[in-house]
Amino acid sequence: MVYAEALGKTYQIGKVKIEVLKDVTFSVPKAKFVVVTGPSGSGKTTLLNIIAGIDRPTRGKIFVEGEDLNDKNEDFLSDFRCINVGFVFQAYNLVSTLTVAENVAFPMEWSEKPEEEIEKRITELLEMVGLQDRANHFPSQLSGGEQQRVAFARALANDPQLFLADEPTGNLDEKNSQKIVQVLQLLKARGKTVIVSTHDLQIRQLADEVLSLEAGKLASEK
Amino acid sequence: MSEAAFPINDLLRRKLQTSLIIGTLTLSVASTLFLLLYGSRLGFNLSSTTGTLTAGLTTTLTQFLLFIGILIFAVGAVLTSFIAFLMMAQRTRDFGLIKAAGCPNNLVAGYFVTELLITTSAGCIFGVILGFSMDYLTANIVFSKYPLPNLWFAPLVFIVFFVLALFFGALPLLKASRMSPVNALSPVNYYNLTPENKHKPLSRHGITWKISTRSLIRRQSANLRIVALLSIVFILLTVSVAGGIIASGTTISWVQQTTNKNTIAIATNSMGDQYELLLSKFSGASETGVFNYSDPTLAIPETVIEQLSNLPTVNIVDSRLVLNEQVSEIDNYTIDPDTMVTSTVGGNREGTSIVIGVNPENLSGTWNVEGRLLNENDNFEAVIGDSISQSMYSPDPSMHITLANPLVEGISIQNNTFNIVGVCVDPINNGLVTYVPIERLENITGLSNPNLLLVTLNNSKDQSTAIAQIKSLIQSIDPNLNVFPLNSVVEKNTSFLASTWQTIMLLPFFILASAALCLVGYMMLAVDEQHQEFAVLRAVGAKPRIIIFVLAIQSLIVLISSFAVGISLGTIITLLILIPQPVITSVTILEITGWLLAALAAMFIFSLYPAFRLAKGSILKIMT
Repeated sequence: MVYAEALGKTYQIGKVKIEVLKDVTFSVPKAKFVVVTGPSGSGKTTLLNIIAGIDRPTRGKIFVEGEDLNDKNEDFLSDFRCINVGFVFQAYNLVSTLTVAENVAFPMEWSEKPEEEIEKRITELLEMVGLQDRANHFPSQLSGGEQQRVAFARALANDPQLFLADEPTGNLDEKNSQKIVQVLQLLKARGKTVIVSTHDLQIRQLADEVLSLEAGKLASEK
Repeated sequence: MSEAAFPINDLLRRKLQTSLIIGTLTLSVASTLFLLLYGSRLGFNLSSTTGTLTAGLTTTLTQFLLFIGILIFAVGAVLTSFIAFLMMAQRTRDFGLIKAAGCPNNLVAGYFVTELLITTSAGCIFGVILGFSMDYLTANIVFSKYPLPNLWFAPLVFIVFFVLALFFGALPLLKASRMSPVNALSPVNYYNLTPENKHKPLSRHGITWKISTRSLIRRQSANLRIVALLSIVFILLTVSVAGGIIASGTTISWVQQTTNKNTIAIATNSMGDQYELLLSKFSGASETGVFNYSDPTLAIPETVIEQLSNLPTVNIVDSRLVLNEQVSEIDNYTIDPDTMVTSTVGGNREGTSIVIGVNPENLSGTWNVEGRLLNENDNFEAVIGDSISQSMYSPDPSMHITLANPLVEGISIQNNTFNIVGVCVDPINNGLVTYVPIERLENITGLSNPNLLLVTLNNSKDQSTAIAQIKSLIQSIDPNLNVFPLNSVVEKNTSFLASTWQTIMLLPFFILASAALCLVGYMMLAVDEQHQEFAVLRAVGAKPRIIIFVLAIQSLIVLISSFAVGISLGTIITLLILIPQPVITSVTILEITGWLLAALAAMFIFSLYPAFRLAKGSILKIMT
């Protein structure tokens, strides 16, 4: 499903070069639940961004669903993200001018799904995350936990095979974290490939595999 | 960090934004200053200073220039205030951040006031330099000389725009200084957003359109300002482009119709050259010596007229006696029918005029005339040029003349009085001309022959052959006579008039350019406000063109609404106020529509620059 070979990423700020990822090689088979851990600044977010096609590696190769993301243009990557990848950010990142239902709907609209199917899928996803009563509310009218659940629903809109989440419980209290863990459990049960960067022990317990990053290097693999 | 270092570094870090602000201010100041300098050179006091154009045309130009001047000043003021507001509104968040870090209010305010002072000073100084340069170039191109302009305009424009920019730029700063750091950090305050979403979702589709329109609705404060600004810009553009094209066409037709395009002049070489000189005065030619119009050697024998009239290639033979005479105003009286009070109209002013005796039955051209043309059966009538009308028949408080109207007064030539029945626009001698019946003028002066013939040729005949035939005929009767095709002089006059109008119409394009820069500034605000969401959209699968589409809809809505308001008001003003009796053809309408749509399209394309810049960037770059 995901294969990374000698992956490296260097940012240049002025004359200073910062090496965020160094020679990272790993593979994640289909339907596996992988947790990425490591201290802040170890390169977890960069790694997830590269797997999602949001960022490009400076060195090495990244294959997702058999596609080499390095040599693809922006339009291909946009379509690829829209259809094959569900991504959840730490900071919810909902579109503030759209309602909950519209936030869930827009990736489906871009993949040109029929209206009836979009409606059906919105209802299904909002029920799954327990927000069916908040469909017409705007993000500003939701709590942080609710917003993160909407972000999960949006990430699953096109039923992607690969699901990525960057510290999804990082900004949430225990009760809301629990609900997110339930959603992740459901995804695991449904056979999705999940890669989550987190410090959350409850999520870690779901992992089939843990990738530990330290200063941009893969420290250990379990 | 020193107090001076922060503002300079901050401005340098925001290179595009800083250059846009300085650029907009520069163009705004430059176009206003240029308008004042060029207007004073061209329209406001034209006849007396440059000796070009007639007084009537100058009045039309002046009226036009004044109106455009007022609009440019208004746009400049709104533009300056908007750009200063935009710049400082975008710093509200930084204000909050610096305050939150513990910096005292007055120090933070000091940083941003210094930035405001640097940008407004730079914009105003560059604007003054550019304004003078544009005036220098245009004066050299149009008038081929550069008399020193009125230098007082520079400090006037500089001070007004500088104060406006400071005032409107300081407003958001004042607001931010009164806010708590938490409030200053809220997007509701730093983007002047409408705090609550009140839209009822009607459908869950057309989401790209919804993102665009709802974000637009949220920026009410900035939107109102940009729509108001662009509306004034489009009024200005309509008045100058539509009005300019219509007025240019109308006035050019006034000049053209005085000398028919198939008309040639027949006279002795010296008289022919002098007549061409009289016509050319309109575009700046001047007399080099005294010409004796009464010289008997200039007379054209009667047989020439008779034989020319018999030629099949000739349509009209317009015999003229051209003289230079002292003329006097003859006052008149009016009686108020209600009060029966008698009032004097006019005075007894004197002047010099080219007096042309014509046969009202055989005129080769026609005039745009207020009143009417000469009557065939009345030998005591005169039609005067618009410059004579303005110089001798206008109210003059210094001479205690409070009422004046040439159409109720008379004109005296060699102690013979003529009733003035019309005031015409005529390029001859720059409108310092009087037309009277030739028979009467011959009686007064004792001259029995015309000294100039204007011959209109038949349209269907080969012109050069006809001219050659005429030349050989007249020279067989009087070898001193020659043929003078007048086309080139008329063309020179009309192209001079057209270039004068084009220069006036050029003025609003500077404002259009600054408004376009301002629109780019506004779009940058839109990008700035929505960048986080755009990054999310891209991360979730939106292609770069969807982001461009979202921003393009916003720009288009702002532009179309301003365009609709501006075009409607501009058209009403142009047709109802500025140009009475306009000459409008379908070509004119097409030309105007083309220019206005081109301006709209150019502004739209220009406004998309921030969108393309954003779409080109990586998602992570957009996010930060």
